[in-house]
Amino acid sequence: MTESNTRIALDNLVKVNKLKLEPPDQAEFNGMLKAAKNKLKDVMLDGLSTDSQFSLAYSAAHALALAALRWHGYRSDNRYLVFQCLQHTLGLSTIKWRVLDKCHNARNLAEYEGHLEIDAQLLKELIEITLECQELVAALPGLE
Amino acid sequence: MVSLIGDTLFTKSQQRILGLLYGKSDKSFYLNEIVRLADMGKGAIKRELEKMCAAELLTVTRQGNQNHYQANPNNPIFFELKAIVQKTFGVSDCVKSALESLLPALEMVFIYGSIAKGSEGGGSDVDVMLVGDDLSYSGVMTLLEPAETALGRQINPTLYTPKAFSERVNTNQNFITSVIQQPKIWLKGEDSVLLPPGDELNMS
Repeated sequence: MTESNTRIALDNLVKVNKLKLEPPDQAEFNGMLKAAKNKLKDVMLDGLSTDSQFSLAYSAAHALALAALRWHGYRSDNRYLVFQCLQHTLGLSTIKWRVLDKCHNARNLAEYEGHLEIDAQLLKELIEITLECQELVAALPGLE
Repeated sequence: MVSLIGDTLFTKSQQRILGLLYGKSDKSFYLNEIVRLADMGKGAIKRELEKMCAAELLTVTRQGNQNHYQANPNNPIFFELKAIVQKTFGVSDCVKSALESLLPALEMVFIYGSIAKGSEGGGSDVDVMLVGDDLSYSGVMTLLEPAETALGRQINPTLYTPKAFSERVNTNQNFITSVIQQPKIWLKGEDSVLLPPGDELNMS
């Protein structure tokens, strides 16, 4: 995906009020990246329950997806959209954001309906995709 | 195995025939084949086929001593009818063929949720449960992507290993318990594998 295609796709979402424009901020970006890094490190801690691992990895994925969106100069409070935009912001494959979307639904079931059954395979794929996002976000050029 | 939209528009035998012939419109089927696949009485199927041929929804050609029936691509609503079939009672066939390469390795595959209950709306997802070893969400979702496009519906897979699935059945885990009690469209496996012996009568 080229830079101009990314911009067109994201600007279209601004037009339909799904995203807001907001200039990027290096300190905020660094903070999100650091928070994600800490959470991903904690995911690997011995003795954590799979629920906690899932929460940490999910939260890291969201921080990274939001950091990528903010880097491009946009913001959204809607987690589904923040993940959906990964195909534009980091060039992530649609299947991978669909897996993250599945994680988002699983997290909602856990938080709002007490459905604590964490799927080991989904957790594994969540961590893999989050690590990939971390690399992609870390490789974004510095902001002026 | 009901479909609210499908049931409103078509009789069961019409659905079976259209599901088969418009689901695989590039293939012709002979009468006994249709009767076997549709799992319905020969008389009802034969009457329906004759009506559909008379309306030119189907073509019939004589091959040897058999009549072969096929969807007629020259009827004015061919594409519309095909789309209606795929989006309603053709869901199971569409999902099944997308998963074809995985099926031999899987223990169970079924559609549950609103589609299986027949209460689906236009925006309903297709919930699919796959039980087998070494499955990944990204792999399964990649296989399902063409079916999602064809059906115009999101397909939401849930994966379990046979071990994890039976553990959850045995401990009466909420989600699995509720899924087991719901109507299902089986793509591989059958209701009886989910039940302790002698309990078959409780299945809906």
